[in-house]
Amino acid sequence: MTNIAPHIASLDDLTSPPKQLYYRGTWDKTLFTKCAAVVGSRRMTQYGRMVVEKLVPQLVQEGYTIISGFMYGVDQVAHRQCLECGGRTIAVLGWGINWNGMDRDDKKLMGEIEKNGLVLSEWEDQKPTLWTFPMRNRVVAAIAHDVFVVEAAVKSGALITARIARKLKRTLWAVPGPVTSKTSEGTNQLVAVGHAQIWIPRSESLKKEAPSDNPIINLLESESMNASDISRKLGEPIDKIGAELSLLVLSGDVMEREGTYYVR
Amino acid sequence: MFVKLKSVAHMGLVSVPVDVEIDVATQGFPGFTIVGLAGKAVEEARERVKTAIVNSGMDFPGKKITVNLAPADLPKDGGAYDLPIAIGILVASGQIVLPDASMSALFYGELGLFGDVRATRGVLLVGLFAKKHRIKELFVPFASAGEAAVVDGISVYPIRHLKEFVGHILGSPSVKRLTPIKETVASDDAVEFDVADVAGQEQAKRAMLIAAAGGHNLLMSGPPGAGKTMLARAMPGLLPALTTAEALEVTRIYSVAGLLPSGASLMRRRPFRSPHHGISPAGIIGGGSNPLPGEVSLAHLGVLFLDEMAEFPRSVLESLRQPMEDGEVSIVRVGAHVSYPASFTLLSAVNPCPCGYLGHPKRACICSDKQVRKYRSRLSGPIIDRIDLHVLVPAVETEKLSGAQGNAENSKTMRELVLKARAIQEKRFSNDGFYTNSQMKNKHVKKYCEMDGATQRILKLAVESYDLSARAYFRLIKVARTIADLGGFANITITHMAEALQYRPTL
Repeated sequence: MTNIAPHIASLDDLTSPPKQLYYRGTWDKTLFTKCAAVVGSRRMTQYGRMVVEKLVPQLVQEGYTIISGFMYGVDQVAHRQCLECGGRTIAVLGWGINWNGMDRDDKKLMGEIEKNGLVLSEWEDQKPTLWTFPMRNRVVAAIAHDVFVVEAAVKSGALITARIARKLKRTLWAVPGPVTSKTSEGTNQLVAVGHAQIWIPRSESLKKEAPSDNPIINLLESESMNASDISRKLGEPIDKIGAELSLLVLSGDVMEREGTYYVR
Repeated sequence: MFVKLKSVAHMGLVSVPVDVEIDVATQGFPGFTIVGLAGKAVEEARERVKTAIVNSGMDFPGKKITVNLAPADLPKDGGAYDLPIAIGILVASGQIVLPDASMSALFYGELGLFGDVRATRGVLLVGLFAKKHRIKELFVPFASAGEAAVVDGISVYPIRHLKEFVGHILGSPSVKRLTPIKETVASDDAVEFDVADVAGQEQAKRAMLIAAAGGHNLLMSGPPGAGKTMLARAMPGLLPALTTAEALEVTRIYSVAGLLPSGASLMRRRPFRSPHHGISPAGIIGGGSNPLPGEVSLAHLGVLFLDEMAEFPRSVLESLRQPMEDGEVSIVRVGAHVSYPASFTLLSAVNPCPCGYLGHPKRACICSDKQVRKYRSRLSGPIIDRIDLHVLVPAVETEKLSGAQGNAENSKTMRELVLKARAIQEKRFSNDGFYTNSQMKNKHVKKYCEMDGATQRILKLAVESYDLSARAYFRLIKVARTIADLGGFANITITHMAEALQYRPTL
């Protein structure tokens, strides 16, 4: 049993809009009133993850529905992050809505998205192939009002989405990254040639309280690093630093991923 | 004429007496038969013994010779019976006469075709057997005699050549018995690999210190080239030196395996074994029709290092469960059922992902999310559950290392801390029959790990936020106990618990 989606006006902007869209979840027109697409590399770096963790909550707070392509990497992190901070999200699949080849984790995430948003696809049983993903990208770009590109290499699906979004006159944003990073080359180029606006996190300097008196937090504010580096920089023994870091992570002041500590 | 000499067979680490009975008949067709469940190597003793006797300038009697190795139902293998068979034939054919003392001696050794007596494995066990059964004299190969010389109360006669032995019996006693080696604990201050050789990695070194102090198993994960293997090699240097009793235990295993270098007596260094990931389950726990010790037993009282642990076959990792739980491993084969001690510290290293560069500051990882998850799922399961300490060994950026140096720990200072912490533990567990925090069962954790309210609150918070299992909960307390012991604290405080959290499982 497959649900066929009602007409979505924004898809008419496309030169070849999908003939019909199938969906899972409960249809809610209001989902489409203010949409932001968050797209990016499948090979997300630590930096990309941190960016999504900053970007998505801010968008959710501003009332956006988060749209993405349900691929691993930036897409899925964006969906997850959105659900985590209580937002609504739409996943546009690069394969048929009834295709049964996903693994357990993907199915679980899809189930969660169905509860708090929609899963869309223009096919019923189509397998994922090379051409389905660019097709999917045009739907993502068309539904969104704003498109945010987080980490994209020079030749990537995210840049296809960005190009279509520009053609459809959607607002295009790119998150700049280190100029040495391959996965940020595409986004940096979007900014450099003036196709995209730069997105940087909302400045928190106004609402921020006095600078922390914890030397570890002070250090991490300028650069994320691992425990051994912190111990060396501060000249404190590792056992003391380790204990303090554990407490800071438990209290939520410091975040940790793959051994690297950072502050939000 | 009929002669009976004594020798020994090994079943694992257990030695059993074997009577070597030789009959040189006066009637019957000339021939040479060996009976008594003799293996291929023993069968072939006929050719060796015959040629060795002839080449030593003695006569090989052209008569019907029958050799029986009793008890008849015990399988026997190896070349160790060459010496008693050859001497027995010489005595039975009336060429030499053994003094009474030597008739009740133990003979053990393999012969070469020229009559030379070759190094034979298991000589230490023969020495221990002789002492236990009050056997005074022992004739063993010269090259292996050092092993038996550490056993006191017996006379060990090292033999180089069959001719030399015959001269010793016929003429003036020319083979000097070995003076027993008084083994004192070697002062092996010189460590092979020093932790100071690895730059940075303060946290990994700290984790090694905790592992060494509490006998915990350790998993290091990090990209290639970060120093995991070098750190692992430094581990034996952090552990206390083997006591004489321990050294004897380790040497026994190596003696049976035939891995003792020629002329060596006691193993003083803690063993460090790092098998390749192509190893079979039989290679890791031991095997063969008369089972020889595997890597887990060769690492007994030392370190078993599994580099690239995710690459090991699942069957091999599963087979580690019993030895890790019981400290010994039993091997059942058609011919024998033996058990070897296998109480080791497991040290393992993994890459964070198949390509190894996940989270690397400079190089991009080329693995997909799915690949990473699949790789990690191979590790999860029963073995990971038995590893107390997990530590990340990140890539070292050399420019970050310059500057703060000098406070680098070295193996010697770290070992002193380990010794102190171990002394505390030994005292604590003096009535419990074990030595280190890692061996505590849950009831001991409740008994010995007192915590104040604040510490318990942190622990509870951590269990909730990291979704820790009951087993992880107890492991955390054990690690905190060791950290407290390293600092000399009687009770676990909030700092110890917080530091222990640094080493919780992350994979």
